[in-house]
Amino acid sequence: MRCFDVGTNNPQGIYAGVDIGSLTTKSVIMKGGKVIGSSILHTGIQPEESGTEVLRMALDSISLSQTDLRYTIATGYGRISARYADDTATEITCHTKGVYHYNPSARTIIDMGGQDCKVIRVDESGNVSDFIMNDKCAAGTGRFLEVIASAFKVGLDELGPMALEGTECVPISSTCTVFAESEVISLLARGEKPENILRGIHNAISNRIAGMAFRVGVEKDIFFSGGVAKNAGMKSALEGVFHESILIPGFDPQLMGALGAAVLAGNLGSGE
Amino acid sequence: MNMALTNLQKIQEAVERRPGEIDALKKNGQKVLGWIGYTLPEEIIHAAGIIPVRLGRGGDDRLVEIGSRYISTQNCVFIRATAGLFAENSDPYVQKSDGVAFDTTCMQVYRLGEVTKYYFRKKTFFLGVPRCFQTPQARQYFLMELEEFTLRLEEFSGKKIESHALAASIGLYNEIREAIKALYMHAAHDNPPVITWHEIYGVVHAGYYLDRQEYLALLKDLLHEIEELRDAGVVGKASKRVRILLSGSVIAPGDTKLIDIITGLNGNIIADDLWSGLDPYIGIDIREPTLKGIADAYMDRLLPPAIPHLDQSTDNRLHNLKDAVKESSADGVIYHSLRYCDSVTFKGLEMKEFLSHEKIPFLEIHTEYAKSDIEAIRTRSEAFIEMVKFRKQAGGRI
Repeated sequence: MRCFDVGTNNPQGIYAGVDIGSLTTKSVIMKGGKVIGSSILHTGIQPEESGTEVLRMALDSISLSQTDLRYTIATGYGRISARYADDTATEITCHTKGVYHYNPSARTIIDMGGQDCKVIRVDESGNVSDFIMNDKCAAGTGRFLEVIASAFKVGLDELGPMALEGTECVPISSTCTVFAESEVISLLARGEKPENILRGIHNAISNRIAGMAFRVGVEKDIFFSGGVAKNAGMKSALEGVFHESILIPGFDPQLMGALGAAVLAGNLGSGE
Repeated sequence: MNMALTNLQKIQEAVERRPGEIDALKKNGQKVLGWIGYTLPEEIIHAAGIIPVRLGRGGDDRLVEIGSRYISTQNCVFIRATAGLFAENSDPYVQKSDGVAFDTTCMQVYRLGEVTKYYFRKKTFFLGVPRCFQTPQARQYFLMELEEFTLRLEEFSGKKIESHALAASIGLYNEIREAIKALYMHAAHDNPPVITWHEIYGVVHAGYYLDRQEYLALLKDLLHEIEELRDAGVVGKASKRVRILLSGSVIAPGDTKLIDIITGLNGNIIADDLWSGLDPYIGIDIREPTLKGIADAYMDRLLPPAIPHLDQSTDNRLHNLKDAVKESSADGVIYHSLRYCDSVTFKGLEMKEFLSHEKIPFLEIHTEYAKSDIEAIRTRSEAFIEMVKFRKQAGGRI
């Protein structure tokens, strides 16, 4: 486990953040401004159990228990059933806090998680100044990429590298998960190269994200967080569409929500 | 409705009695005219001795599905749900309406009128509305439409509208408008509040059905009670919650999704800029008790969202929203756009940019009546409230 100095935010005590997402549940434990423990697991059908379990795993990894925690914040869609937490905050606030604490130059965050994607504008104090989320559509989410990976019969982590190998960008006319899957099958049947199709898919999603970003504006530095940020093909496609460098936070991008929740727990729990 | 105020209870009881009262009045030969629209002067219906009832329901996805059998799914859910209301014919006011009037401000409302006539065989009345309110020709056209509408109402009721009856109805409606505005002032300015915005919204919707004379009397009693309680200091604690102004598409009776989410998150709705709320009651100044006076006043008031304003620099909708935010000391605006309510949806970005110059936080919630997006809306609304709170704590200009 790497330890990260979070600068001036250095509250005494041990604080936890738990991010209960639709696909994965994450926890980060912080002490003295440093991350001292973390864990990730697949979200089960009971979000509260997943949150409790991931927190226990993170604490076990550093031989602590819940009684050692001064304050815990839950975020993500499962935050509404998190009796183990002292308070809750939205993933929009938490991703912002998480990214900003390591990267105070962040002014725009593109977060792509399991079932939603969002573009967040950040002010100079590290607070949200505007945001937009996807609207009843899975395009640009981990769930969408899971469906596409299934259509290609490859692992989720293979999609990005395959897209980067594409020499052409096959136009994809729909980012609807169901129609995109049908389109992919048709394109494969027509003999299109899988790498080129995947490059097209990543490009189509990036264009969709750019459409969202238009409504809140984009300012450098642009950071990319959430589980999908581990997909190098998506990062590359976003850079192509935004014509800017897309930066990955200096900590596991999938843990940004939980990290931000822990940072916020430190602020609230220490009365800052 | 919160029954802490005695007169809220009385209004609720009056609403419950109303279907039976209307039945009795119909037995005595009085006609009921339901209406749906934005630029339809109810004063004229009232002056004709006809019982006016404002129709339409929201929030029920089942009615949307029923309505979608009769009207394109690319109409907004309010229109489809209301088509479903006619198809199902179980709403007491739809049942009791001897006719239904529609104006053409919103073309989806006009289509609903056509559907109502064609499929449900209702006697229908259409009031033409010009597309650009600002020109002399538009005023002339609207006056001619009102004259035609009046003739048809007289034919329907079998009674000529006398000028003194029209003057009396205009006077009554002016008083109702003033009372509604006074209620909204309490929601915006009293802290601790004696009456909440949500309660006032219910009172406005009660006025869709009640006898208008009785309604005015109830409004006056309610205002008197509020002022007495406030002056006596019989109120709760001052609220520090984030103050929200709600704007955008119609939030019809029965549609509580967004309101429940915001209030459940400790957001404090203190004002609105809605055609199902305050907007129909503001900016109407009928200078002479005639059809011309009515036509001019309706052309001069706040533009409904569906009407284009060709001189964009003088579009009073944007300025009205900004003024409403300042007047109510709102911390931010939540802009509710119903799917396929294009005239509101298209305005969203312009509203946002306009308000951003004033440093007024703005969140657009694009939704429909299905419950599938409740958690997504909750997250957006909660994040917006968090954002405003953090900015206030940081001392930033809201």
